[in-house]
Amino acid sequence: MISIQNLTKVYGGATVVNVPHLEINRGESVGLVGNNGAGKTTLFRMMLDLIRPETGEVLSNGELVAGHEAWKNYTASYLDEGFLIDYLTPEEYFYFIGGLHQQTQAHVDDFLASQVDFFNGEILKKGKYIRDLSKGNQSKVGIASCLLQKPELLMLDEPFANIDPSTQIRLKNVLKDLNKRQGVTTLISSHDLSHITDVCDRILLMEKGKIIKDISTNSSTLGELEDYFAVGQSAVSPVKIDEEENH
Amino acid sequence: MISVFLQHELKSFWRSKNTGKSIAVRIVLGIFILYLLLCALGAGFFMDGILKHYFPKQDVIVSFCGILFIYYLFELLSRVQLQELPTLKVQPYLQLPVKRNSLARYLAVTSLISTFNFLPLLLFVPFIVKVIAAKAGGGVAIIFIVAILGISVFNNYLALYVKRKANLNALIFFVANMVLILFALGDFLWHLYSISAISYLFFGHLINHPVLVLVPLVLAVAMYFINFSYLKQNLYLEELSTRKTTYKSSTEYPFLNRFGMVGDLVANEIKLILRNKRPNSAFKMGFIFLFYGLIFYRNPSMKNLDGSAVFAGMFMTGFFIISYGQYMFSWQAAHFDGLLVSKLNFTDFLRAKYLLFTMVSTVAFLLTIPYAYLSWRIVLVHFVMYLWNIGVNTTIVLFFANRNAKRIDLSKGAAFNWEGVGATQWIMSIPIMLAPFIIYLPLRLLGYPNVPLVVLAGIGLIFIFSRSFWLKKLTANFYKNKFKIAEGFRNK
Repeated sequence: MISIQNLTKVYGGATVVNVPHLEINRGESVGLVGNNGAGKTTLFRMMLDLIRPETGEVLSNGELVAGHEAWKNYTASYLDEGFLIDYLTPEEYFYFIGGLHQQTQAHVDDFLASQVDFFNGEILKKGKYIRDLSKGNQSKVGIASCLLQKPELLMLDEPFANIDPSTQIRLKNVLKDLNKRQGVTTLISSHDLSHITDVCDRILLMEKGKIIKDISTNSSTLGELEDYFAVGQSAVSPVKIDEEENH
Repeated sequence: MISVFLQHELKSFWRSKNTGKSIAVRIVLGIFILYLLLCALGAGFFMDGILKHYFPKQDVIVSFCGILFIYYLFELLSRVQLQELPTLKVQPYLQLPVKRNSLARYLAVTSLISTFNFLPLLLFVPFIVKVIAAKAGGGVAIIFIVAILGISVFNNYLALYVKRKANLNALIFFVANMVLILFALGDFLWHLYSISAISYLFFGHLINHPVLVLVPLVLAVAMYFINFSYLKQNLYLEELSTRKTTYKSSTEYPFLNRFGMVGDLVANEIKLILRNKRPNSAFKMGFIFLFYGLIFYRNPSMKNLDGSAVFAGMFMTGFFIISYGQYMFSWQAAHFDGLLVSKLNFTDFLRAKYLLFTMVSTVAFLLTIPYAYLSWRIVLVHFVMYLWNIGVNTTIVLFFANRNAKRIDLSKGAAFNWEGVGATQWIMSIPIMLAPFIIYLPLRLLGYPNVPLVVLAGIGLIFIFSRSFWLKKLTANFYKNKFKIAEGFRNK
């Protein structure tokens, strides 16, 4: 599905992403972990043709992402609030996104009706613009708009940050269902190690722009990751880095 | 503590991205501000001459005392519209161990740093030193300066108090404006009383009874404390911010449905304009500009009517294109990434801009038709400039939009907001302002009254009919600059 070759990005002399080779196959669920500044968001942005890499290329379905648009037909992504048109009401935004995919308003309404649990009564018919919603609720709007697009490839940057525990669990189930039953390829970054190992079959660990570990998830993966992240800390208890990352 | 706050304030000014990254922009702004200050200072120095010219029968001191209250009345009116509330800046300090007193005091004191408070000094002090000090002595001059400062400070806090109250209840804003306007009309329209007589009553007596200076001083101090205590009691985030909590309903524009995706995009942009402060005021200014012709066509002598109609017509039918279009794509900076990754054809995106410009321009043109009362020829020239606007100026504006990578925060007001201003806007104004005249003037001076209009209309039409060509060019050009634009928009 996705193939990355020699991808590098340099900011002010420092290499922030350096991925010589990466293949993501159709139907895989891939989790991206790494501390702040590891280059996760930058990698996402290059995969979405939002920033120009110094070298290398990203192929989606065998076609270059840069300069082409076919990938937009089957790729849905939500990285941050910068993806939302914040002066629209959530409904207006969903209709707009649906319209981009030739969905009628009735179609979108059906979809929204199926998301009632996910929205938990906080999003629809609240009489608020997206900009007036809390960060967590904005994130829900972004994720739901991705699902609305019925993608083959789904990319989410820290979807578990800012949202409430019930929604986190619901989101995990949604993501598993999308991947296992509908065959959607998912690429998700997170600081929550237990969530990510729960949802993803394959974990990529980034450090200083490089993918230093590429492991398929099993029962010992969580422990392995916790050991990596706890390096240099005396506490025995596993460290969870759940801080929301602002770029 | 206040000095620490002030240091932070200075840092936030110099380090803010909108202060103008490039030195060129800063220099141009600096020159502009300096020019305004010099104008004020010049007016101050020649105040006696100016007053003599307008009120030849009166003693200059009498006229001077007469205009002071009038000045302050209009100052108060403009303060209520334009002066910014120093509000959210205190947010990061609220939870820190900082006394509420010093926060409130800080907010109150920094509000004094405003052009409005320096302007009267530049305008009036030269006259006071030149004329009043010479006639009535240095002591009286100092008393006068103190009185003027007192009224400035009083106006400052009164305006801020009204604005703070108005944040909670929009009606107050309306009422305050109405009271001020009615007060002004009472003199200038209905002649019920004379503000300048009232003004002279006070300032005239100030010369003989310096004790009267206590009146403005006491008023200023009282207003300061009213403001201060109000601030102190209301130092809560929700009350400091200007967010209103009315129910926001979803809207549709059925007439746009026939345009498909392009119509959806236009609908979004109309919402952008109506729901955000700054584009909203750019839009409304366009309607105020429809009265521009009344200034230009006051005495329609046929000789130069065409020329002024070319100029005024371009602005009246195209003000929106110029004022809103000059910041094109910046308005959408906050969600530009989202647009880029969405299944959106950029050509459609541009088509939507063309459609929006054409719609607003058409409405503007239709609204200028009443100028036919003055002369049908004006309407003809307006129509020519309307074609020019939707043909040529839209394309120029979109060409420069591909070169503009400055983010705009939609929620901030328009007055004195330099965010998003860069070299692009200055450069863009050159072709917009000059192009029609480069075509019009030479032909007109050669003695053809109609030929230049035909040429302008013709070029406008050629551009309109070759839109698909320009769309292709602009799209290709956008893809070249895409990363730069997106990167710039990401920079908060």
